[in-house]
Amino acid sequence: MKKPLQLSFTFLLAGALIASAGCSSSNSADTSKSDAKPATNAVKQGGTVNISLDADPPKLDPSFSTALVDRMVFQSIYDKLVDLDDKGNIVPMLADKWDVSPDQKSYTFHLHPGVKFTDGTDFNADAVKFNIERYMDKASTRRNELQAVDKVSVVDPSTVKIDLKQPFAPFLSVLTDRAGMMVSPAAVKQYGDDFLNHPVGTGPFVLKDRVKGSTLTLEKNPNYWKEGLPHLDKVVYKIINDSNQALNNLKSGQVDITNVFPTKEIPNFANDPKISVVNQAGQGFQGMHLNASKAPFDNAALRSAVDLMIDRDAIVKVVLNGAGTAGHSPFAPTQFAFGDTDKFERPNVDKAKELLKQGGKPDGFSFTLKIGTTPTNQQLGQMIQNMLKPAGITVNLEKVEFGTLIDQAKNGNYEAVQLGWSGRPDPDQNLYDWDVTDGTQNYSRYSNKDVDTLLQSARVEGDNNKRKELYDKAMQILNTENPYLYLYHSNNVFGLSKEVQGFVYVPDGLIRTATLSK
Amino acid sequence: MSHSATQASASNTAVPVVKKERRARQFWRRFSRNKLAVVGGVIILVLILTAIFAPLIATHDPIFDQDYNNLISKPGNGHLLGTDDLGRDTFSRLIYGARLSLEAAAISVGIALVIGVPIGLVTGYYRGVWDEWVIMRIVDAMQAFPSIILALVMAAVLGGGFFNAMVAIGIGFLPSIIRITRAQVMTVRNLEYVQAAKAIGARDGRIMFLHVLPNCLAPLLVQATLSMAAAIVAEAGLSYLGLGAAPEQPSWGSMLHIAQGYLNIEPLLAFWPGLAIFLVVLGFNLLGDGIREVLDPKLKR
Amino acid sequence: MAFLVRRLLLAVPVIFLVTILVFSLMHMLPGDPATVILGQEAPPEAVAALREQLGLNDPIVMQYLHWLGGVLHGDLGHSLVDNSPVSDLIAQRLPVTVELTIGTFLIALIIAIPAGIISATRQGKFSDYVASILAMSGMSIPSFWFAMMLIVLFAVKLGWFPASGYTPFFENPAANITAMILPMFATALREAAVLMRMLRSSLLEVMSADYIRTAYSKGQRERVVVLRHAFKNALVPVVTTSGLMVAGLLGGLVITESIFSIPGFGKLIVDSIYQRDFVTVQGAVLVSALLVVVINLAVDLTYSLIDPRIKVGKGAEG
Repeated sequence: MKKPLQLSFTFLLAGALIASAGCSSSNSADTSKSDAKPATNAVKQGGTVNISLDADPPKLDPSFSTALVDRMVFQSIYDKLVDLDDKGNIVPMLADKWDVSPDQKSYTFHLHPGVKFTDGTDFNADAVKFNIERYMDKASTRRNELQAVDKVSVVDPSTVKIDLKQPFAPFLSVLTDRAGMMVSPAAVKQYGDDFLNHPVGTGPFVLKDRVKGSTLTLEKNPNYWKEGLPHLDKVVYKIINDSNQALNNLKSGQVDITNVFPTKEIPNFANDPKISVVNQAGQGFQGMHLNASKAPFDNAALRSAVDLMIDRDAIVKVVLNGAGTAGHSPFAPTQFAFGDTDKFERPNVDKAKELLKQGGKPDGFSFTLKIGTTPTNQQLGQMIQNMLKPAGITVNLEKVEFGTLIDQAKNGNYEAVQLGWSGRPDPDQNLYDWDVTDGTQNYSRYSNKDVDTLLQSARVEGDNNKRKELYDKAMQILNTENPYLYLYHSNNVFGLSKEVQGFVYVPDGLIRTATLSK
Repeated sequence: MSHSATQASASNTAVPVVKKERRARQFWRRFSRNKLAVVGGVIILVLILTAIFAPLIATHDPIFDQDYNNLISKPGNGHLLGTDDLGRDTFSRLIYGARLSLEAAAISVGIALVIGVPIGLVTGYYRGVWDEWVIMRIVDAMQAFPSIILALVMAAVLGGGFFNAMVAIGIGFLPSIIRITRAQVMTVRNLEYVQAAKAIGARDGRIMFLHVLPNCLAPLLVQATLSMAAAIVAEAGLSYLGLGAAPEQPSWGSMLHIAQGYLNIEPLLAFWPGLAIFLVVLGFNLLGDGIREVLDPKLKR
Repeated sequence: MAFLVRRLLLAVPVIFLVTILVFSLMHMLPGDPATVILGQEAPPEAVAALREQLGLNDPIVMQYLHWLGGVLHGDLGHSLVDNSPVSDLIAQRLPVTVELTIGTFLIALIIAIPAGIISATRQGKFSDYVASILAMSGMSIPSFWFAMMLIVLFAVKLGWFPASGYTPFFENPAANITAMILPMFATALREAAVLMRMLRSSLLEVMSADYIRTAYSKGQRERVVVLRHAFKNALVPVVTTSGLMVAGLLGGLVITESIFSIPGFGKLIVDSIYQRDFVTVQGAVLVSALLVVVINLAVDLTYSLIDPRIKVGKGAEG
């Protein structure tokens, strides 16, 4: 981990603000004794770390990736222009530094010299241009994240300039993830549609072998541009769907890190000699969409009545066993927009009945809540069903297989649907698309001009203090209109063998493998 | 759910329906002498009684009596078998689960019989190109389809909910019901009394339902009983894959699905619903086997 | 050989119907593949672009014929999710399930043959009774529940076997076998019960036949009689059952594979259904159906070889 040599004005500002928000609160029950900067002389070289993933990564190409687990594996294969550090600050990665024009519409990145892709080709400004433009293609799932980009120009081989159509505050945050990942243009040209089975990046590891549904074996990139890294010879991702099975494998030493952990077991590992639990705030939220385009939830009072009857603290206790925080906003405790808007009222039957009266349903009403099929989905659904009963609101739960659920949610074929979000570093990435009119994740089909204006302004505003004010205003409206009911922010919980050194928790919940050793 | 196991013996008595009463008495005498069949019958009787009197037996409400301060607890505190992941009484949910099990068995086997028997009758009675090259090949195709996958896809196609899931399972039973009916029809259709009925000008429909069908009942009864056992296992399998009963419904299969997440902490949570499924399936299997032995003297010990 | 030709001819419409069945079922599934594959955040343009790219906008009959055309040329197509050839995916997964099936079947035979012989030769005695009850119980145990209980006992409490996971056989045979024993055993119990019951009843039938009685009367020792004459003849129905069993296991180990995180063939189909990877599901189900048909043919053939009196070719009843 190299210290940035020179910091541009915006980077300092943004970094400081995110950092101050990042310190706010993380109610972790137990943290690993991980060391952010392992002393290089003491680090053991070589060896293999096995990491269990709860699902098989479907697409190893950032341009088409849609799954959280993809991003887990990407941390080993690809580097990004910029990265997040353990506090959630944006720090240099493939770009050593960057300048932002005063009108915030132009970003100039100074690339780290001498970096090569693992196929031997050069990483340079042309490669950046190629990648960003590839992500802007209409077939790419990154397109939406980069819609503010106007054009990418190569200044010189190690300098690239990205011009935006209008200022876009989340831009650097976007580049810390898939839209900032640099893949080898030569490999894309060589493999075409099949690139996702032959991923080539500049990352610390290279994909050697894959058994679909079972294992991904990665070997050390011997020419990695960060000196002394990676420490390991091999990283093996093993697909183990069930968190208890993953834990059993961790106990028996078959895996060293698990990306999920049965929350009920957390207290049992407080003093375990071999296993530590990383239990840290994530960036996501869980909740449910109410379909504002049709009865009964075209009526805001009825939406609010439902919102009011949910006992969020009980949900966090039962569903998460405390590994998370109850909430009422899309902003996780680590984000600068987090604040009072996340507060919520305790359930109140009288007030809910008042709202029902306002909504024209004094005797209550019934609706169907569609949920996924996992035990957690079912537990949450049944709690909501039980909590709404005292107000005379009947919930019919319908378990729907995930593919159908997504399709029905997108097409508005539901009354209420429980769908959360894994979260991104910038507040815009967790709010804009959900509530802006016709937003890509606005499954609630909600539309409010004031909200649109506020979200749009927050997007182009460069100053995070001012942005927070705008988000506060938007959330005040959203928390009375309740098109989406925010329930909680779950923690990222990993199981970690104590033999593994150098683990650094980053708030995006993705495991960086370059610094690991065993 | 491999069909080999549940396929009832098709060879059977092709005796015309005469002296019904005497036959019934004879059946009962033979049946009651078969100890295992009686055990099966008793298990199923207990299941039915439990389902009917569930509200009297259960100590707690199986759905809404949630206690968030008493999750996954051991037996005690008024909970005979402890509590589940929402602090509900496991014993009460097991008791109410008997209802869903019976419904699962009845709906799926009912669907299979209502659709399968007429198809088997018609196709076995007329034979011909349609029978051999179409209907029976469709039956073959369905049987070549992995059964759990057929049920999974059908359940998703039909849409959520317990009833639809059971219909999906019932469709999976169609091939064996059609085959058995058809095989039976073919052994009967050329017998004298059927030919006689034809000769006096009885319509085909009348012959099929009045003369042929009654002679198919015995093997169908056996197959239906065995299919009920398979239906209960299939319901649990679908629930395990996340489909089937609504989450709050105390289906043994979904109880098992939820309990799997707590195997390390409280294995008994998975033990009880599994045991219930096992006993009921055993009951149906013993009963079906017993009926078969009674009806088919060749198989007598 | 005429009956074999006839059976082969009859298999053609079956396979054809399987392709129609799987294709139409997949297209009746709610959840458009492009939407499901691209997930929550995808903008409508990306979904539209993917639909176009995957050819989902073509008329349904054209899609079917296009796919079928490929299949007839030996091309099962490419996965909608990651573009890898479906035949590769199947080649990767099928051996795992075949290993599981063979292991399951062997364990089932090891239990069933002695139990069936004991039960039949001591008909009506205590050991027969116990064996029958155990067999009935074995048939009634839900295999995934049994699997969970095995995990609790042997993996969690005793730690003898890993709770889940899979190592390819040629990478580490010992690790492979220790990981496969629990899943094999979990499914084998039920199959053993079915085989044992089948063997018992067919042994009983054969032993009541005239020639066995003759053998008895000649004074040979009972065991020799049973093993030399009865057992061989009693095998006929057992072979049939075994064939159906193996065929059923190949596509039917879905839940076992899920419980033990084994990347098998059944899990490939289910995962692909969840991802709406139509092409993979179609290819995999087709292969599984082909296997069933081929195994059934082989059973019929064996049947007629073991016992030439049986004319299997007569019609398709049974």
